[in-house]
Amino acid sequence: MSEHNFEDFIRQHRAGFEEQGPNARVWKDLEQQLKAQQRHSPKVVQLLKRHWLKAAAVLVLVVNSVMIYQFLQFKKQQQDLGTISPELQEAKLYYTSQIEQKLEDIRQYSPEALGLDSTARKELELRNDTYQLLEKELEANPGNERIRSAMVRYYQMKLDLLDKILEELQAKQPGTKTFNHHEREI
Amino acid sequence: MQPFSHLIVFIMQRLTDNLNPTPATDQLVARCKKGDVRAFKELYDAYSAAMYNICLRMTGNITDAEDTLQEAFMQVFGNIGKLEQAGSVTAWIKRIVVNHCLSHLRRKKVYFEEVDRVEVEEETSVDEAGFTGTVNAVKEAIAALPVGYKTVLNLYLFEEYSHKEIAGMLDISESTVKTQYMRAKEKVRQMVSQKL
Repeated sequence: MSEHNFEDFIRQHRAGFEEQGPNARVWKDLEQQLKAQQRHSPKVVQLLKRHWLKAAAVLVLVVNSVMIYQFLQFKKQQQDLGTISPELQEAKLYYTSQIEQKLEDIRQYSPEALGLDSTARKELELRNDTYQLLEKELEANPGNERIRSAMVRYYQMKLDLLDKILEELQAKQPGTKTFNHHEREI
Repeated sequence: MQPFSHLIVFIMQRLTDNLNPTPATDQLVARCKKGDVRAFKELYDAYSAAMYNICLRMTGNITDAEDTLQEAFMQVFGNIGKLEQAGSVTAWIKRIVVNHCLSHLRRKKVYFEEVDRVEVEEETSVDEAGFTGTVNAVKEAIAALPVGYKTVLNLYLFEEYSHKEIAGMLDISESTVKTQYMRAKEKVRQMVSQKL
């Protein structure tokens, strides 16, 4: 027992004031709590929580990239048909407007007068399954003459079919106001 | 010269604690930030004994010390992502542990109150004489102090916070902290001398 200033005494005997560490049970409890927390919060969620700003920036970039890519693809497809086959593009515009006009005329009639079920009516539409198949083929093989001819034939056949339906409808109901495109032009 | 030597020791401890992070500490903290449970265990092993001693001194019993330590480490693990400088990890963990101990004391309705400023002036001259005693006698004397005195004494003497820092933690004035420290020290001296 020697004489010291009180603070000096504490500093000089600092180690003597330290007890042993905590019971091992403390870590076991902590470990269980940690594992329970991680189970409730998956790793991806934890990472997102930690890096939410980066994640938001990446998301914006990805969405922008996808939109730009789709826009460019769309423009490319439009340009492809116009540059590879200007005639086909012209035919498409012509037939499409004709077909749409006749479909509009047919839609003037009630489903009962038309006498077609919903499947048949759907098949009459311009962009039916056959049309979509041909369009896909044309995209994949823009220079293929057979596909281009098939597309034109499709337009012609659809137009003929619509004409015949309209003729029959007019024969059945001569008083109706419908008229075909040729008459309108005259 | 003695007050200056204390100051130098205190400053050197803070500098080595905060400004010289080892690469191992950096890596350990980085792994903890990724949620690696093994890294949490390593961090716990490195700091639990020292932090447990803080809890034991502040709460005064093993059960409360272990509960407080556990709560504090859950906060450490949960918030380690917010720790910007790995070098300050010791001070950061210690502050979390001390805050949990203080919360524990407040839950037990311990209040830290202001004392009259006049008394401060009278008491600052106490204890410049030498101190004689044993470690066990001092430990027992500190344990027997009123909780308010004990808290101030522990935070200043063992956890090495300044009077100003302690005043901020306890939401009392710096002069009150100084007074309570002087009173606590005097009480310890008296209790120890009675056992000699």
